[in-house]
Amino acid sequence: MSGVEQRVSTVRFVKQRSGIVLAIVAAAVMLGGCARNAPQDTFQPAGENARRINNLQLPVFIIAGVVFAIVLGMVLFIVVRYRDRGQEMPKQTHGKPALEIVLTIIPAIILIGVGIPTVSTVFSLAKTSDTQCVINVTGQQWWWEYEYPVQTCGGVNIAEPIVTSGELVLPTKVHVLLRITSNDVIHSYWIPKLNGKRDAVPGRIHPLRMEADQPGIYAGQCTEFCGLSHARMRMDAVGLYTADFATWVANQLQLAPKPTDAMALRGEDTFRTQCSRCHQVNGLMEENADGTNSDKPVISFPDLYVVAGNAPNLTNLMTRTTFAGATWDLLNDQCRKALHDASPDKFGALYLKGVTPDCFNEADLREWIRNAPAKKPMYSSEAQKAQNGGKYRGMPNLNLTDNQIDEIIAYLLERK
Amino acid sequence: MAIIERPSTVPALAGGGAPQFVTPSSSYGVFRRPVSSTGWRSWLFTVDHKKLGLMYGGAAMFFFLVGGVEALLIRTQLAAPDNTLLSASLYNQLFTMHATTMIFLFVMPVTTGFANYLVPLQIGARDVAFPRLNAFGFWCFLFGGIFLNTSWFLGGAADGGWFMYQPNANALFSPSHGVDFWSLGLQITGIASLTGALNLIVTILNMRAPGMTLMKMPIFTWMVLVVQFLLVFAIPVITVALFLLMFQRVFGAQFFNVDAGADPLLWQHLFWIFGHPEVYILILPSFGIVSEVLPVFSRKPLFGYKFVVFSGAAIGFIGWGVWAHHMFASGLGPVSVAVFSVSTMLIAIPTGVKIVNWTLTMWGGKLRFTTAMLFAIGLIVEFTIGGLSGVTHSVSPSDTQQTDTYYIVAHFHYVLFGGAVFGIFAGFYYWWPKVFGKMLSETLGKWNFWLMVIGMNLTFGPMHILGLQGQPRRMVVYPEKLTGEGFFNLHFWNTVASVGSYILATGILMFLINVLHTARKGAKAPLDPWDARSLEWLTASPPKAHNFDVIPHVHALDEYFHLKYEEVDTDAGPRLVKVKTAEELLAEQEANADEHIHMPSPSYWPMIVAIALPIIAYGIIFSKVLAVAGGAILLLGMFAWSLEPSVADDSDYDPPQGGAPSKELASV
Amino acid sequence: MSEATLAESHAVAHAADAHGAHVSPTTGLSNNKLAMWLFLGSECLLFGGLISTYMLYRGRHTGSPGPAQLWDIPLTSVSSFVLLMSSLTMVLAVSAAQERDDRLTCIWLSVTALLGSTFVGAQVYEFTSFYHEGVGFTTSLFSSSFFTLTGFHGIHVTVGIIMLMSLVGIISRSKVPGDKAEVVELIGLYWHFVDIVWIVIFTLVYLIPA
Repeated sequence: MSGVEQRVSTVRFVKQRSGIVLAIVAAAVMLGGCARNAPQDTFQPAGENARRINNLQLPVFIIAGVVFAIVLGMVLFIVVRYRDRGQEMPKQTHGKPALEIVLTIIPAIILIGVGIPTVSTVFSLAKTSDTQCVINVTGQQWWWEYEYPVQTCGGVNIAEPIVTSGELVLPTKVHVLLRITSNDVIHSYWIPKLNGKRDAVPGRIHPLRMEADQPGIYAGQCTEFCGLSHARMRMDAVGLYTADFATWVANQLQLAPKPTDAMALRGEDTFRTQCSRCHQVNGLMEENADGTNSDKPVISFPDLYVVAGNAPNLTNLMTRTTFAGATWDLLNDQCRKALHDASPDKFGALYLKGVTPDCFNEADLREWIRNAPAKKPMYSSEAQKAQNGGKYRGMPNLNLTDNQIDEIIAYLLERK
Repeated sequence: MAIIERPSTVPALAGGGAPQFVTPSSSYGVFRRPVSSTGWRSWLFTVDHKKLGLMYGGAAMFFFLVGGVEALLIRTQLAAPDNTLLSASLYNQLFTMHATTMIFLFVMPVTTGFANYLVPLQIGARDVAFPRLNAFGFWCFLFGGIFLNTSWFLGGAADGGWFMYQPNANALFSPSHGVDFWSLGLQITGIASLTGALNLIVTILNMRAPGMTLMKMPIFTWMVLVVQFLLVFAIPVITVALFLLMFQRVFGAQFFNVDAGADPLLWQHLFWIFGHPEVYILILPSFGIVSEVLPVFSRKPLFGYKFVVFSGAAIGFIGWGVWAHHMFASGLGPVSVAVFSVSTMLIAIPTGVKIVNWTLTMWGGKLRFTTAMLFAIGLIVEFTIGGLSGVTHSVSPSDTQQTDTYYIVAHFHYVLFGGAVFGIFAGFYYWWPKVFGKMLSETLGKWNFWLMVIGMNLTFGPMHILGLQGQPRRMVVYPEKLTGEGFFNLHFWNTVASVGSYILATGILMFLINVLHTARKGAKAPLDPWDARSLEWLTASPPKAHNFDVIPHVHALDEYFHLKYEEVDTDAGPRLVKVKTAEELLAEQEANADEHIHMPSPSYWPMIVAIALPIIAYGIIFSKVLAVAGGAILLLGMFAWSLEPSVADDSDYDPPQGGAPSKELASV
Repeated sequence: MSEATLAESHAVAHAADAHGAHVSPTTGLSNNKLAMWLFLGSECLLFGGLISTYMLYRGRHTGSPGPAQLWDIPLTSVSSFVLLMSSLTMVLAVSAAQERDDRLTCIWLSVTALLGSTFVGAQVYEFTSFYHEGVGFTTSLFSSSFFTLTGFHGIHVTVGIIMLMSLVGIISRSKVPGDKAEVVELIGLYWHFVDIVWIVIFTLVYLIPA
């Protein structure tokens, strides 16, 4: 090889090595560069089920990392050691079967080592016999509904079914079993810190274990692509100590009281005419001709108006901290931060306070009531209604006046 | 009476090479056959596997750019949280079409293009078994792809994701015609894949040169063979699924109507029974390409050829038993989940065998870092990352955390971009001089490679973090409040990925510049620029229309290498000595050229039959009349086709075959 | 598509048989036949998918008649028998073609086509009577999957009939490109396959109760 060629090849080689060094640095930066406290981090389990998964995945990631380091090291070594330096034409070896067999068996052994704990974890995560509480979870475009059937849930008696949405409230250290289904398309229920995901398939009920160690809010998202507003279909799980959970249950079972505030009282009227066809408020009564309540409850018929046949029950809206598929906050930033940062012992009391007027994030709710499909894309215009077989998908723009919106907000602010 | 034009392909023998015209006496066919061997007609009606291979490649690269622009739009939207560049509806269409385009309109056809061009050359054949069927396949792919993309202008593209889960893709939940375009378009490209697969299997099994036993076959051809078998059995499954979907949407069938008692998991099973073999359909040709490239630039035979062949076949086989690992969160019972978890781990073993063999092929070699070699080494490293992240979610409990997050997006882009696409680019640089007779610029090539490597790692590397820290896929926006804290939060990594995608695009732009540069002033390629090992290099560059003047007799694996080199005993032990040059070998071929080579004749019918399919498809969506018209064209075309002999009759050639021997080579 | 493959392999003979000395390594099957076998292998998966769909959905027909109310086993048995007999006449056609007896080949091919048409006719009658009993394509999951499965099979038989009749036409004009007996045999392979698929469908769909 001539000197010039050699130099060219050396230059080329240095260039190449710098590229590889760059790649290694990049990899190191990435590994060291994870976000702190990402709400949906899969490596920060906060419950028994997620912990089991984490205990399984950590060693697998380490093994994978080691194998990659070996392969990369081999390749780098070979690239340096056997580069063309004008050496003889190499021997034309066609392989060494013994070596090949050994190198086939080694990964097989590693995989057996991974396979056995995998299978045992699969079965332990599928166990349902130790269930202490059942919650029915129903997905629809684009929000989640929870129904707590009559039962003793982790020691707390639930005398009548509770229906809520967005936030899954569960007692800590209790084996909860979710029974997941869907009203329209396939969704997937995922609270990363508590367990892996499970699809919500219409016509099928899928079980999923849930358990939270500590009180707190655990973020989650729908993870099966479910159409237009898939990105805005979220949910939270809220862990409460058993005593706090009992308080929450008792509050949920109370019927909505008659508004006291004058504005809210007008809001009740507006709600009755504008909202109650789809949104149920338990305890809301039909009005007599003289303006007093009759003894006939207002029953919503969302199945006549929306494709999913369902709309969130708003009886206790202000005990929740989010709305519209858990996408927007009912709490303002300050109160939200205080709640999310609260220590486990203080969290329950703060959460049970619900949305107080001084903590209320009015802006988002106002925009939503004014024109919901502008805030969250849905198929709920009149033209799209025709395509949907005469029903809305999601909440339509109700063309309310500012006055009506004020009244409804005042009414809703008392739904606790 | 057809006029058949016969340009001589060997001017020295035909005396100047002026085209001669003869009048055939007995060609069948409704119309006269096409005869042009130059100009656009020679491409439109060609049945030549090389021209078809090039057209496959060219059209696929066009769709690659389309899919690339879609990807850039997606990454631009996701560069920052709560971005409002794209509407949710448009975003959903973009990611659906990005995947569909890259899988069905880029990787599959571009590898089919490689196979079409190279398999006959590698096995010492003059064309494929069914040349007109080959042309038909190409036109089906092209028309199907164009049909699919016209949906952008006719009310919106499909918006259900490339996996098109039911019932979200029903007419109720996806009211535009996008999904109809999708199901019919893929049906048409599916026909292309099926006919192509039948053709290539028969070609490989029946048309190898004398002496080329299966275990002396070049490894690329082997991988192509495995892939074609996968296609033969996977395509009908997606065909069924697409028919059910189409009947549901267009004719009101009930298959996915949950209210009538349908099970949405039926679609998932059908789709993934096709969809997982599909993954190997995408990756195995690239495995074949690097298994050709690494030995040449290491100057050593492929280490453990038999192991590589068998592991390829094993991947193809086990690939049928792992489909439900796409459904670990779908609600299968624990027993199914456990079984599919273990079978998925199993498939890592033959894949690992390949990595090991490639590494050991380089071991002890004499490595030349050409661009093709760099892409091949790049594939080993990047694919290993993708393979290992694959192992992490074969562990099904972990997968329930990872599936439908960006971690999966990272995984399959390392497999498909770092694997399949790197292999394809290695193939471009390696075979370019063979196909076009000109060398791609190595300088631009290095730019191309390094920009692509850096770009892909910046784009897809951070997606591992994004996914593991909880960012799901297929979301038009992600909120700031879920991105975590610190400088390296998920917002930061999303921005890095978006910047990376532009670097990646620049790398691909370098390739296009390289192609243009080479076409204008590229250096003429030597006959055997890389000191290659397999039979395609025995031909001229670019190869003559009939490939080989005389069909070679094969005695060994790497036949071409053994024609050039012999082992000579010296004092210092045996040494390899070059005994013949490529030019000498080609001259030998030409000196012993066959007297009569009748190549298959061009035909109008493959294209006419193929164009009937999108007409029918438009008809199904928009107007019954159009469908009937398309059906009529289809039937007439098929009749005319079956009545037309694939080669002009012997007596059409002058002098007739029975008469005095002629040195002329007819190529019509 | 299968029709299109018929006349293809001629090129290969030209392109590859220049060498007498070395026998090329092949499967021993002609290109056409190998391709047909592969195509039929692929078809197995197509019908496999359709049959699985039907088996999953055959019991799902709330509020509308199901298999037990609809099947007319005697009629279907007769039409199945007719289709089975057509395989026999197809065999006779192939053997006549191998003996280069064009007249007899045409006769047996025509008989095969006739028997096939009888089967398709019976299927059309069956579909119509189901429709009149209130079971259409869109009625229930059962009906959608039943009509899709048997409809696909019926279309396969129809395509076979068209191929048979075309073959009769072109044999009588002596215009078969390539080896005449092989073309008959290829269509025969297809025909037998369609027949076997029907036996499976008949057993699974009609005979085994849901």
